[in-house]
Amino acid sequence: MEILGTVLGITIKSVIFIVGMFLLAAYLTLVERKFAGHVQQRPGPLHVGFHGLLQPIADALKVLTKEDIVPQSVDRVLFYLASLLAFVPAIMILAVIPFGEPIEIFGFKINPYITDLNVGLILALAFGSISIYGVIFAGWASNSKYPMIGGLRKAAVLIGYEVALGFALVGPIMLAGTFSLREIVEAQEGFFGAFIWYQPIAFIVFLFAILAETGRTPFDVQEAEAELVSGYNTEYSGMKFGLFPLAEWYIATFVLSAIAVILFFGGWNGPHIFGALSPYIWFLLKLGIVFMSLLWIHWTLPRYRVDQITEIAWKVMLPLTFVNIFITAIIIMIKG
Amino acid sequence: MPLTKEKIEKLTEKFPDLKIKFENNLYFFEIKKQNLIKFLTFLKETPDFEYKMFIDMTCVDYPLHKPRFQGVYVLYSPINKDKVVIKTWAEDDSLPTLINLWKGAKWAEREAYDMFGVNFEGHENLVRMFMWEGYKYFPLRKDFPKEGIPEVYLPSLNERNNIPSHDYSPYHTEVPTMEDLERTEKARFEKKQAQIILNWGPLHPGTHGTIWFLFDLEGEVIKNCDIILGQLHRGIEKLSEDLTYTQIIPYTDRMDYISAICSNVAYVNAVEKLLNVEPPEKAKWIRTMMCELQRINSHLLWLGTFALDLGALTIFLYTFREREKIMDIIEGIAGIRLNSSFMRIGGVRFDLPEGAIPVIKHFVKDFPSKLKEYEDILTKNRIWQKRNVGVGIINEEQVYQYGLTGAVARASGVPYDIRMLQPTDSYDKVDFEIPLGTVGDSYDRYLVRMEEMRQSIEIIKQCIEKLNTLENDDYIATDNPYVLPTLQETFISIEAMVKDFNLRIYGEQAPEGEIYLSGENPRGELGFYIVSKGEGKPYRLRIRSGAFYNLQIFPEIIKGRTIADAVVLLGSIDPVVGETDR
Repeated sequence: MEILGTVLGITIKSVIFIVGMFLLAAYLTLVERKFAGHVQQRPGPLHVGFHGLLQPIADALKVLTKEDIVPQSVDRVLFYLASLLAFVPAIMILAVIPFGEPIEIFGFKINPYITDLNVGLILALAFGSISIYGVIFAGWASNSKYPMIGGLRKAAVLIGYEVALGFALVGPIMLAGTFSLREIVEAQEGFFGAFIWYQPIAFIVFLFAILAETGRTPFDVQEAEAELVSGYNTEYSGMKFGLFPLAEWYIATFVLSAIAVILFFGGWNGPHIFGALSPYIWFLLKLGIVFMSLLWIHWTLPRYRVDQITEIAWKVMLPLTFVNIFITAIIIMIKG
Repeated sequence: MPLTKEKIEKLTEKFPDLKIKFENNLYFFEIKKQNLIKFLTFLKETPDFEYKMFIDMTCVDYPLHKPRFQGVYVLYSPINKDKVVIKTWAEDDSLPTLINLWKGAKWAEREAYDMFGVNFEGHENLVRMFMWEGYKYFPLRKDFPKEGIPEVYLPSLNERNNIPSHDYSPYHTEVPTMEDLERTEKARFEKKQAQIILNWGPLHPGTHGTIWFLFDLEGEVIKNCDIILGQLHRGIEKLSEDLTYTQIIPYTDRMDYISAICSNVAYVNAVEKLLNVEPPEKAKWIRTMMCELQRINSHLLWLGTFALDLGALTIFLYTFREREKIMDIIEGIAGIRLNSSFMRIGGVRFDLPEGAIPVIKHFVKDFPSKLKEYEDILTKNRIWQKRNVGVGIINEEQVYQYGLTGAVARASGVPYDIRMLQPTDSYDKVDFEIPLGTVGDSYDRYLVRMEEMRQSIEIIKQCIEKLNTLENDDYIATDNPYVLPTLQETFISIEAMVKDFNLRIYGEQAPEGEIYLSGENPRGELGFYIVSKGEGKPYRLRIRSGAFYNLQIFPEIIKGRTIADAVVLLGSIDPVVGETDR
């Protein structure tokens, strides 16, 4: 009975998380489009619903009803697999991300996360790494020149930044002494307890890594439209195409922003000024700020060249993280 | 200043068979074919002459003359600050190639071969320029009909239920097949050298139009590159041989469609000089002002798309915000936004409307702060610098070799600006500076164009001041016999009506002669070489396009760099396909 309850609970929660994430991702497109619109001094979506509120639904309908063209010369298995491989790992990271403190509804204690693993962070990193395959497969299976160059570029960027990202996370982990995301949040008490004050270098590297992993502007070489038309997803159409930006630009950005909030901004910690819901509100507020600042960077800067990006990854970011680990270790040793 | 007497004597001494003609402030030399290379080398390398900049090369067809074709070369001397035209008859339909003297002659000679069938002895790769390989005809020859030769049976044109009202023929002029295109592609590359051949275009977001780039890639490094032009070739030179001088004005709009007014002005100035028409003072000032407005407009579009190519999406919309204001001003004055055809021989089409000056004044006041906004985002931006600095360095020698003009030449430190060297309109009365670069890379070209916009604002300010004092002046010199009367005049006077009729039907009967005159377009020197036989239409109208010559250096300096740099280089050279292809 115990096991059945747990399984049922996790299943229900997973379904809620996945469906919620889908809806959220759809509305994140609206956020991005509105944000980009106002950055560029235009209104953004305006006509579908009140201030474009129904635009994501219209977009989803459009993309779902588009003709799904599969070119003749593609490797069909990999071609189909690629869009799933880009999408599924991004959403699986969600399993280990806690969104707040447990709450009690009708006597049930409900945890706002699917599981709290003691290796949660490593799992998140692992899932993030899998999503590289989606891009490489897409580039390879398309059997076309632009996607292949785009896929290889993305692979070069991702490999560089995965390493830097992994080492950047070591700092907060050392401070918290745990891999569990929930416990990392609990280790950050109060305003000055947030790890951003102790790990600024790690945060900067992490920020760069998010931009590179999600293919946002200074690092969006894989789909540099002036050179490669659309990069690795040139040959895709319909919803298979839709999954790529959805996974990369929205779900991955969202999830990585959530990890950034947990690691550096004290997660849901904050003054209890919103009553019972205040942890969630604080978490979403911080998440929103991180997400928006990523959008801000995206819509402002030009992009690097691919060799410059990998150069930054290996020659600047990676040494920085080593320095960070070294300094953190010394401080921990001195403080005991 | 033109050549002095002593220099001319020196030339005739050295080349006794030289025929010299001085017309329209320009020296025309005619020399025998066997002495051509010697003469050109002399002009290029002798001190005090140093005609070392290649401006243009073309041919003229005289079907009744023997030999049939005449080669025409235009050269410029940075020391004498003037141009000369050298002509030679192509005996046996062939001319010696100039690529050993000027690399820029490569494409021009290919174009002459493509259009006239003139052979160039010693050319490294004499293939078609605009047409496809396997095309049988040479379209600019006088015996080729303007409408083409309908010979390909294409019944699909007629296979429809409701037959169109006009006469549909199942025969069509020749169209390239896939095999033709493949053959064209193969003719450009000798053999496959590296890993993959990447095609850009004919329709590609990075090429700003329908250019077809071929890259031979090793990884992302370009080993070899070539460009196939001609997707937008409309044969404006051919068409204008059958139109009156006024009718050609709209065609010049459609060459460089981003800076239509500048093209108009360059053309109209050439024709006016040929016809000896003097436009009124006010028209000159309006032309100068409109030209500079158009220059800012064009540079804004360049900045937006250049930044867009480099991933800065927002600048694009910021520049369009300002561009829209200029478009509105142009629409208010000319009535049309893009292809305005605002210029007329002998003046401009309309007087300035009421309220135009205050609007422009406001724009001029407002624009520098916006320009600063763009510079804040880009100029000192590390990513922008990393992408631009050191990419596509063009040195002074290359400028002369390839005949590069416009901002590309000035960024390499060559003070070549037609507005200063050969001022038309009111450019000799306004005060402005020519920004020069030092390195000649993409970043310099960016800085030069940004500074040019600032200088344009200064010119516009001076034009407004002057135009305020000329409020009630004439804007078109309709008392000249070559100038079309305005609509108002044709309504009230029968003489004007008759004149209008005559000019529209028979055209401006230009005196026999020839002229080469150019204007400073945002994309480089736009020159018009007009040969008149005393008819109402030009015998030959050659358009020297700045973008065509500027683009020629692209395959040369992109070798060994990546395709990401190709985008930057292409953006900074800023060709417009309407002008390269004409």
